[in-house]
Amino acid sequence: MREILTSIRRTPYQSFAAFLVLFFTLFLAILFFISLSFLYGLLGYVETRPQVTAYFETKTQENDIFKIRNELINSGKVLSIKYVSKNEAFKVYKELNKDNPLLLEMVSADILPASLEIYAKKPTFMSEIAEFLKKQNGVDEVNFQKDIVERLLTLTTILRRTTIVFFLFLILMATVVLFTTTLFKIALKKDEIELLRLLGASNFYIRKPFLLEGIFFGLLASFFSFLIILGGIFYLRPFLISYLRGIKDLTLQVLSLQFTVWPMSLNFLLLALGFTSFFGVTIALIASYLATEKYLA
Amino acid sequence: MIVFEKVSKKFPLGNVALDDISFTIEDNEFAFLVGPSGAGKTTILKLLLREYLPTSGAIKVNDFTITPKHFNQAEKLRRAIGMIFQDFKVLPEKNVFENTSLSLKITGTDEDFIQKEVRQALELVGLTKKELVFPSQLSAGELQRVAIARAIVGDRSIILADEPTGNLDPKTSWEIIKIFKKLVGKRTVIIATHNTDIVNSLQKRVIVLKEGKLMKDVKKGGYEV
Repeated sequence: MREILTSIRRTPYQSFAAFLVLFFTLFLAILFFISLSFLYGLLGYVETRPQVTAYFETKTQENDIFKIRNELINSGKVLSIKYVSKNEAFKVYKELNKDNPLLLEMVSADILPASLEIYAKKPTFMSEIAEFLKKQNGVDEVNFQKDIVERLLTLTTILRRTTIVFFLFLILMATVVLFTTTLFKIALKKDEIELLRLLGASNFYIRKPFLLEGIFFGLLASFFSFLIILGGIFYLRPFLISYLRGIKDLTLQVLSLQFTVWPMSLNFLLLALGFTSFFGVTIALIASYLATEKYLA
Repeated sequence: MIVFEKVSKKFPLGNVALDDISFTIEDNEFAFLVGPSGAGKTTILKLLLREYLPTSGAIKVNDFTITPKHFNQAEKLRRAIGMIFQDFKVLPEKNVFENTSLSLKITGTDEDFIQKEVRQALELVGLTKKELVFPSQLSAGELQRVAIARAIVGDRSIILADEPTGNLDPKTSWEIIKIFKKLVGKRTVIIATHNTDIVNSLQKRVIVLKEGKLMKDVKKGGYEV
């Protein structure tokens, strides 16, 4: 640690440049990571919602609804179908608005519509089912999730591709800057390195302080970028709570592990910090290794 | 043991630094390499350290054989040799103790052993009381003592010195030579110098070089310019 601090003191501007470029890269990396996690969580959430939901007029009789349900089942296009009665709808409404007594007072089961939540056997059946429902008497509104899913998928794909291209550019830029600053530091320690070589030091021994400094900068930059993102999330929390109202949780599946993206859980924050630190340390190590390799070779 | 067998060293531009040199230096022998500037003294030391490869011939250092072909045991070879430079090569950011311990630290030696060995080496060169002092606070003579301590610390069996008194006044030079005298019979010592006074007073082996050729090899003698 003392050697790292001495090196920073000897080359303050180069060290600051190395830190800044790493910080900028990692800040964007963690921002993209959290945004993508949110989008994937949202996508997962939407995908688990009924694909087609038909809301009935309040005066529609249950028997008429069951007739429509049976017709759909007999069509062979439906994987599953769930009837949500007015009372069940009211229960869901009460649960969603349990913190708002005013909204609860204004609504009773009578004014809420009964609905059918339908999952199609194939995505291509969804529009057919929706069309069928729209033609039925007593149907007030048909919600069709396909558009939302497709829009979310498109958005996620665009963001993922943009992130990859942008991030590759940032990695390249960060590596080049770190490589150059490390070469400068090596040039300043040329005599010391020469002496170490003549004393019989291994290449790893000579390389070690530069690699450790790289790890230090990688961890420091990832920690700072994480702190700033964390601050930003806390600042935006009221907005996110209101925006995502009604969504109990958003989850992200990484390999066999499941992380709760919203409400933001400790394990997801640790994953984000781990991801950033890993990238920071890897970039710094690669740049330091390449710079020392160039000199030692 | 060090053996030079018909060693030549030519540089890419064609200048010949060494021309068909052969000699043997036994274990724990004390020898001077003498000759005017450009005679090839420093080239011999650099060949021993594998800073250069010979153009032809072979060099044996203990169990190592250096030939014009690729030699990939430079690390191990250098760990058997303690090198002392004319310009000391003492690191300004490290104190006397840290500079001396470098030779052991690079080999991953145990910290307790380092403490013991460095203190012994500093005692031998008379710097016990200055182990925490930084190079900027030391005289040229003291800096050279640090360099000697760094070279002799641990079990480096061969000590090479390239003009160790070149930057020192006569009085300090003698103090440095007194330290070298303490190594007689304990380590193989090769000193490249053109300080005739020192060579003549010690009456040790003298290898005389001129324009890359071995002119004279006297087992116990002196040197005249």
